[in-house]
Amino acid sequence: MKDINLVLKMMLKEKKDILFSIFFGFLAGITAVSLFAASGYLISQAAFAPPIYTLMILVASVKLLGITSAVSRYGERYFSHRGTFTILKNIRLKVYDQIEPLANRLLQKYRSGDILARIVGDVESLQHFFLRVFYPPIVLAAVFIATIFFTVYISVGAALTMTAGMIVVLIVFPAIFYLFRKKEAVSMREKRGVLSSEFTDYLYGFRELTIFQQAERKEQQLFNEMNQYEEMKASENRQLAIREAIVIFFSFFIAILILIQAGFYVAEGNLAGTLLAMLFMIAVTVFEDTPSMAVLPAHLEESKSSSKRLTDVWENEAPPEAAVHELEPDLPLHFDFKDVSIQYPNEKKPAVQHASLQIEPGKNIAIVGPSGSGKSTLMQALLTFAPVKSGHILVNGKDISTIAPDSLWRQMNVSLQHNHFFYGSIYENLQFANKNANEELCREALEKVQLSHFSLEDQVLEKGTNLSGGEKQRLALARLFLREASIWLLDEPTSSLDSITEQQIMDEIGKVTKYQTVVTVRHRLTGLENMDRIIVMNQGEIVEQGTYTELMRKEKGYFKTMKELESQQLAF
Amino acid sequence: MLKEFMKQFRTRTIWMAAASVCMAAAVTGQSYLVVTIIQQLFLENAVFSSILPSVFILISMLLLRTIFQYVIKGSGIKMAQTAKISIRKKLLRHFTGQQMTDADKGQSGQKASLFMDTVDEIDGYFSQYLPQAIQSTGVVLIVWIVIFIQNWTSGLIILISAPFIPIFMMIIGVKTKDKSKEQLSQLAAFSATFLDTLQGLPTVKLFGRSAEQRNKIDQDSTSFRDATMGVLRVAFTNSLALEFIAMLSIGLIALEIAIRMIIFQNLSFFTGFFVLLLAPELFSQLKQLGSAFHSGRASMGAASRVEDALEEEAMPVAWGDVPLKTDKAPEIRLEQASFHYEQGKFQLEPASMTISSYEQVAIIGKTGAGKSTLLHLLAGFLPAEEGKILIDGIPQEEVQKAAWFQRISYLTQQPYVFSGTVRENILLGSLEKQSDQTIQEVAAHAGIWEWISALPDGLDTIIGEGGRGLSGGEKQRIAIARTLLKKPQILFFDEPTTGLDIQTEHILQNSLNALKKQATMITVAHRLHTVRDADKIFLLDQGKIVGEGTHDELYQHNKMYQQMINTQQGGREA
Repeated sequence: MKDINLVLKMMLKEKKDILFSIFFGFLAGITAVSLFAASGYLISQAAFAPPIYTLMILVASVKLLGITSAVSRYGERYFSHRGTFTILKNIRLKVYDQIEPLANRLLQKYRSGDILARIVGDVESLQHFFLRVFYPPIVLAAVFIATIFFTVYISVGAALTMTAGMIVVLIVFPAIFYLFRKKEAVSMREKRGVLSSEFTDYLYGFRELTIFQQAERKEQQLFNEMNQYEEMKASENRQLAIREAIVIFFSFFIAILILIQAGFYVAEGNLAGTLLAMLFMIAVTVFEDTPSMAVLPAHLEESKSSSKRLTDVWENEAPPEAAVHELEPDLPLHFDFKDVSIQYPNEKKPAVQHASLQIEPGKNIAIVGPSGSGKSTLMQALLTFAPVKSGHILVNGKDISTIAPDSLWRQMNVSLQHNHFFYGSIYENLQFANKNANEELCREALEKVQLSHFSLEDQVLEKGTNLSGGEKQRLALARLFLREASIWLLDEPTSSLDSITEQQIMDEIGKVTKYQTVVTVRHRLTGLENMDRIIVMNQGEIVEQGTYTELMRKEKGYFKTMKELESQQLAF
Repeated sequence: MLKEFMKQFRTRTIWMAAASVCMAAAVTGQSYLVVTIIQQLFLENAVFSSILPSVFILISMLLLRTIFQYVIKGSGIKMAQTAKISIRKKLLRHFTGQQMTDADKGQSGQKASLFMDTVDEIDGYFSQYLPQAIQSTGVVLIVWIVIFIQNWTSGLIILISAPFIPIFMMIIGVKTKDKSKEQLSQLAAFSATFLDTLQGLPTVKLFGRSAEQRNKIDQDSTSFRDATMGVLRVAFTNSLALEFIAMLSIGLIALEIAIRMIIFQNLSFFTGFFVLLLAPELFSQLKQLGSAFHSGRASMGAASRVEDALEEEAMPVAWGDVPLKTDKAPEIRLEQASFHYEQGKFQLEPASMTISSYEQVAIIGKTGAGKSTLLHLLAGFLPAEEGKILIDGIPQEEVQKAAWFQRISYLTQQPYVFSGTVRENILLGSLEKQSDQTIQEVAAHAGIWEWISALPDGLDTIIGEGGRGLSGGEKQRIAIARTLLKKPQILFFDEPTTGLDIQTEHILQNSLNALKKQATMITVAHRLHTVRDADKIFLLDQGKIVGEGTHDELYQHNKMYQQMINTQQGGREA
């Protein structure tokens, strides 16, 4: 029950839709029962050629009940689905509220974006909880109980049989199915993951596979995976079909039992014969909607594991430490790394080891080094996004962990290696940096990064998939021109641009950051001559620090060697 | 495509149809017995024990009905299984016909979703729609005949009213199809925004826009709900209409039966009740068909998407069965070979060249000059459109595929790492079993042994998708290890433009120097020394070979080459 708490709480917020769904569901069910009861009664009465008006009344009520039932069914569907989507909204907001304050911590923990896709998938799968797990048994139980009360007036014995049938269908069957369900739900999901990654491997790696003549073996492997996956899927479907068949058979069986039981009372003279057909019709109808109980356990299991996975994301996290210090907005920032080592969980080696450096206000600093050397990790540490294992990062003399991150970020202009853009217009994406930026300012910013061929109304798709790498980098920089900040942190801001454009844009940045600190992670070693300091990294360590001339003076220095190597590369 | 499967499943569907007729018989029998029992007890005052035999037959009828229904369903599941496997195989064969060049890699995400999600969507057609359609047809037909025989007026009422259900559904379907299609694409956009926001959380926080973004989720979710409800309302109205028609029809039958029983008194209780029990069975089959119809249509949409993908022209390279001589690296000759991509304007003009055994060849040119295309053509990844590719004088399409690929290796800027252990990834380079000793040797040569031995599980560490992530340098070294293990006679090499660390660069150089002696090397060059050391340089410009020769020859006679080398050396530091 604890696992499902999250979805339960969010669901109960939507009392109105829940009540309407249950009410209309009940109405639809009970009118259907009445309808068939009435028609059973009608036919029995008709056998005795009753006065025509009884017939008219019955026929009229049959019609009325029929219409009510159909309309209620519509209402039930409408409100239950609307409720479902509102609940989904609540869950999304709840998840957002939980994750938002932990964002930097979660990023430290999970370097890849997989977890986010998983979270979204789990939220989506929770939509079945209300629709397939929560309210159908309530509606069924309500209809059953009302019908049983009515049946008591006709035959106590039949009512008892019906009660027993209800207990089996609503409680015993789902419980048994649930117990036998558990293990499979997990491995089906896993199997799908395996097949999907096998396929991606085969497709992406096809050239390698062909060259190494392993394509056929891999193809065979993929076929095997495919067969296993389909076999599992089919056996799951078959199991579901068997369960449905069991419930359907049992429901009808109960109706037949009631018929026999009532038949016995009639034969004994304890029950009027006119009620026999009616009782049977009631029994058949009241059990008609029970097949939904066959799929309930599967959905319950799914909701449970999704809900649990979601809560796990934030429950194991300590609440964010109360930030003691708010940075004053006008004070220049001074960073001091004292023997800092950074290690991501699940990694054996630290990403950065024993790094000591200073970032003084107003300085222009470059971090260089090969890929995987820890440059970006250093940058992430400045943003509080990296897990510091030992050592201290001081901001104006105070440990960075005690500083309210918001007050830190307020003073920063950041371009990450992978910049995020939202679905919307260019204008909306630019205004993300500064909501007061008017069209003119935005156009100016685009001009500075040489994107003036974009119009502000142009659409950006999710994650900027319709932009090229260079366009994304430039758009990310354009955002920064709209925002005041005392320190600019740029992680390979122009790596996808040609060197001429790169230089022009860096000059533009230089113009607006005369008095600001600028820290740039670079992958090219050009244009570093005027830096106040160059920090050279290799394999997680700072191997050299100094100005361009200082570094070039070192015989066999790492930077010098890299620089020589780079000049060997052709420019095309 | 679904029609083709129908041919394949012919026998199966015939059996399903037979099962549905049996099921209809069981349904009729069941109602017949219920009416018999009630008739006996209610009107004929029979003794209780006399109905017991009927009760047993009734229960067995019920059992038969459930079994037949399950058989039909199970058949559908089996068909879905077979169909999906065969569709996936087709897709795979189709994709692999196109997958040798980088140009196709961009769409791999879409292909994966087509292969997994879209094919899964087709499931519903075979597992739900088709069995329901067969079952409904059988039951409706038989039950209607029984009703008609029992009481032709009721049969007539059904005959007039029932066709309204499919007609009505079609009308609504046609009217709403475009609308809901448009809405569905809107929905897809909406549903992605939540993921979008979560992925952008760092950006959101850095720009201090948390509250606004929360609002956006709220609004988007609400409009997502409203848009979805718009689509669903259509479906709900559909089933409401269906129920009204069914209700009206059953009501009419009830009225007609009552009138005949009471006023005309020409209909027995038995017949009346029998028809009254059968009519709802008939309509409930139609209703079920109605809801299965929706999933059927979604599947048909998915099937047509798959079909579209299969129709895209593939240009696989054809191979023959002539083996190659084993001892020496084969000579490659192009004779007026040309190529152009389906999309885009780029065209590789007819090119002729000869690459002798163990020659060191560099291909240079500006971005977009066609260097990679030429390399792919030489490596047999792309077919020559016109002209010829000769391998040891044998036309490429006659050469045995295995014989060729056995001899070559290809090092790219972004080598692919498979999800699996480090060992499996390196062993890709060898068809035979290799001892850990050998693996260690090549790994050490590739400069990655130290890294491997530091891993928690050593050679058994899982890397690639879902495993440990590798840096560019690490991937490169794995690829080198593979190549060293393979010892190719021809090495195709797309030289890295940037980003390698000094160490990897050194290792790359050393390994290549070792390979050089025993292999032809064809390099798309980005390094000055590679170009200088080459036996032959091909200079490409806009898909044309505009220069051929050694460095000195080209430097003296080719203006473009001169210019390129000069800018490189002079312009770099400016």
